[in-house]
Amino acid sequence: MLLFCLILINMTYPSMTFARVCSNIYFLNDLCRHALLPLQMFFAIERQSGLDDPVRLRRAESTRRVLSLELNHNRDVDRIHGNGINTLDIEVIDGRYMLSGGSDGVIVIYDLENNSKKPQYTCKAICTVGRSSRHVHKFSVETVQWYPHDTGMFVSSSFDKTMKVWDTETLKPAEEFQFDGNVYCHHMSPVARKHSLVAVGTKDPKVQLCDLKSGSRIHILQGHRGEILSVRWSPRYDHILATASTDSRVHIWDVRRASGSLFTLDQHNGDKSKTSSEAVNTAHNGRVNGLCFTADGLHLLTTGTDDRMRLWNSATGENTLVNYGKVVNESRKGLKFTVSRGCSPEFVFVPCGSSVAVYGLHSGELITMLRGHYNNVDCCEFHPDYQELYSGGKDCNILAWVPVLRQPDIEDEETNSKRGGTQAAINPAFEDAWSSDED
Amino acid sequence: MRKQLNKEVAVFKSRMNRKRALIADTFCLTKRRRCAADSVTGESQDIRSSLQYLVTLFSRKLFNDSLPPVVLKHQLYSLHNDKTSVDKQVNELRETGELLMFQLGFDSEAFALVFAEDYRAKVLQGEAGRGTLGTVEKFLTKLIPSCSDLSFNKEKMLKEFLFTDSEITQLVKSGVLTVRDAGSWWLSIPNSGKFIKYFIKGRKAVLGMVKKSKYGEILQTELEGRRTTSQVKFQMKYHIHDIIGAELVECIQTTSGTLLRYVDGNVN
Repeated sequence: MLLFCLILINMTYPSMTFARVCSNIYFLNDLCRHALLPLQMFFAIERQSGLDDPVRLRRAESTRRVLSLELNHNRDVDRIHGNGINTLDIEVIDGRYMLSGGSDGVIVIYDLENNSKKPQYTCKAICTVGRSSRHVHKFSVETVQWYPHDTGMFVSSSFDKTMKVWDTETLKPAEEFQFDGNVYCHHMSPVARKHSLVAVGTKDPKVQLCDLKSGSRIHILQGHRGEILSVRWSPRYDHILATASTDSRVHIWDVRRASGSLFTLDQHNGDKSKTSSEAVNTAHNGRVNGLCFTADGLHLLTTGTDDRMRLWNSATGENTLVNYGKVVNESRKGLKFTVSRGCSPEFVFVPCGSSVAVYGLHSGELITMLRGHYNNVDCCEFHPDYQELYSGGKDCNILAWVPVLRQPDIEDEETNSKRGGTQAAINPAFEDAWSSDED
Repeated sequence: MRKQLNKEVAVFKSRMNRKRALIADTFCLTKRRRCAADSVTGESQDIRSSLQYLVTLFSRKLFNDSLPPVVLKHQLYSLHNDKTSVDKQVNELRETGELLMFQLGFDSEAFALVFAEDYRAKVLQGEAGRGTLGTVEKFLTKLIPSCSDLSFNKEKMLKEFLFTDSEITQLVKSGVLTVRDAGSWWLSIPNSGKFIKYFIKGRKAVLGMVKKSKYGEILQTELEGRRTTSQVKFQMKYHIHDIIGAELVECIQTTSGTLLRYVDGNVN
């Protein structure tokens, strides 16, 4: 096949060198259409021959997979929660275990890995902190997060005004922090090595920083005038924190500084003429209830109840003015949304009513709406290794959106039908090609 | 030799026709890239022509020709897919002084766009014979090629533009400036109060038509053909572009054309 392509190229365009041919992507597209070879095959050929960076093939394939996300009847997640699911978190180390927190105070851990050799798989719940446990949260769990460095520990915060640090082995809280108001959100820095601070956003306009090493509340960040609905550490620097509040403002803090915030995000970029004077220096025209950094930490996304989503440059605080249109947002609490990782145009997955909207990050266009939930979607989480999306909502379901598998080649299809037509081809990785018949 | 090669390719094509369907999804990515590339080059001309098309939908006679044709920025979103590039191009036109943008006041996100020459012509036409003509002309010459702000505060008016207090009062009287709060003013279109009133009434009426239809949805062609009630003073198409662009209705492509479905949760 490869030889044929080479001959084809050399015969049609004898003057062009092979390297120049392969580097011209649109030329390749035309050639593909004539020869009807998939473009991905050319990515593979280029990677194989060393003409291209291996990252390009990976990014192209990741993007193709994200664009083809859909509900798969083969993949299911155990239904444990009796009430809506507020938060999901997938651990970063293996990408194997997922935490979920529900409105009934229950916390469940799922195993996402498919070790059965069949394509039909239900992600089982390994353990639960259920209503019968002595240490379960009294009211709704708003945020859960794995400890960023291993799965021995996770932190959950709830409307019962506490934040608990759990030992995964025994499922008992190792530490409990009490607060004065409902805790809306908390976040631990994913990159921090020097500190183990948890930023907590509560009903109080002061952002609290709790230290896991000493078990005390060591720092307070003052500057907001309303409830803190969302806090997020930057994935790039371990001292940069972003907080969003009901006073329509988003502050970016450097926790090493003693004085106030570094800057506030201004939706008009300092152009005071565009709006009425009360709305000066606000990030949104309503409550800001969602924050998400992009994977490289260079951009920050915010969503607000004015039905808008904005993309900001996280270093300067400048509004990049990407227009996503109307992003329906009626959430009274924080909204948990996520950005893809490892794709070539990155994608934002935002829960919008009872579906998840997928937008292109820098273009602002609506790619698709993922419909499948029966009620409002509250949270979604992206699995970067498999390009899967897990979303949870008020209908107590966690849905797994899986990329559509590539169709098998014609030759494979024919041999399959000759064998008597299996309904689903077994993944060749699971096929037993080594054990002999004698065993 | 080329002919022989083409024949070989044709034979290859016919054999591999089935494969084309299976790998169509990979082409989605490249087709998307190609379409994006095509549309970017063609767009900069299109914004101006879209604006001119929307200007023709504006009914001049309704206001006895005293208003320049007003187009709303979100009406452009209904004609072009990429909102960010629409914003960017509108800003470019504003920088060059071809287009003026106004904050209308009934919605913080609704901006009105008027071509600068039209604005200037109508304002001067309205001011003809009045004492404030000189001040207004001076303001327009300062404003049109260089300044693209939506509002002005006192400091700017006094220091940069070198207007006196009495001149500012004259500008407010003539309708070119409206009070925003103490010491700052919005740029505005004179006699635009009637426009805003008819516009809001008409928008509500058209949205009501969509809402009252069976299942809350109606084909766009059918809506365009409906008889306008007395509430709707503008052309139907003008309002349709408005409600699509402001995302007050959802646009669904069907085999019989575009379907407009009322979106619940609208404040309007």
